[in-house]
Amino acid sequence: MIMGAEFVLFVSAAVFSIGALGFVVRKNPLVMFMSVELMLNAVNFLLVGYSNFLNSLDGQIFALIIMTVAAAEVVVGLAIILTIFRTRHELDADHIDVLKG
Amino acid sequence: MEFLDQLLSFNLDRETVFGLFEQSIVFIIGMTAILASLGVVLCATPIYSALYLIGNMVCLAMLFLMFNAEFLAAVQVVVYAGAVMILFLFIIALLGAKKEGREFSFQNFMGLSFVGLLFCELLMAMMVGKTRPVEGKVTPEVIQQVGSAKAIGIELFSNHIVPFELASLLLLVAAVGIISLAKFTYKPMRKRTRT
Repeated sequence: MIMGAEFVLFVSAAVFSIGALGFVVRKNPLVMFMSVELMLNAVNFLLVGYSNFLNSLDGQIFALIIMTVAAAEVVVGLAIILTIFRTRHELDADHIDVLKG
Repeated sequence: MEFLDQLLSFNLDRETVFGLFEQSIVFIIGMTAILASLGVVLCATPIYSALYLIGNMVCLAMLFLMFNAEFLAAVQVVVYAGAVMILFLFIIALLGAKKEGREFSFQNFMGLSFVGLLFCELLMAMMVGKTRPVEGKVTPEVIQQVGSAKAIGIELFSNHIVPFELASLLLLVAAVGIISLAKFTYKPMRKRTRT
């Protein structure tokens, strides 16, 4: 058995926290989206590591579905960001505070 | 190889040395993943963030390889580092992303303390967590016998067929959504007076 479960837990917790930090601190919506991807990736790594430790493929299936959802989410989110940029000509999460387009 | 021979002369059998070697590789890749994710958050220019994110994803794909998930490693590289990041880079190039100002405000401090608390909670949950593991039957030997992709395919199409179909529906909905977003014509919004 390579590196124990603690290593997987630590790396995934660290990457998840850093992603959460990026989502909270950064103001550019693109970088916020990247931080969300970071968090999803951390969870994927946890699922894959545990599916290896527990001899079960369920974790990998979960990770696969999460990747699908993340891809769909990124496409829709970037389309929305592009739409906001077309109407407002600026990108700052602090200034996007009305839903009316 | 000389280094390995030297290690072998310390009365270590080959198995231990390779185990040690593998462990150190996994450790280094994991630390690189953490550093790359720090780079995503700390870089002021979005294009550098995107490049660091690619590095992070490749590191995680390598870790997937180390944990016997070859198929997922390939999917990670193709879908994330390929498709999603290309999309991000296109959008960055299209919008001409500017550098972000870097002042340390009260909100930043609040976010930092919140995330520090979150990290401590995660570590605490990892130490005191007492869940009963559910052992499966698919050992790494079985996966090596049939291949990772085939094992996942069998599992996906026998036990998890409903999530699979729902994922295809989700992709269809996303495609329809972005087409309707892109076809719509916009009037530029009035310049706001209040800042």
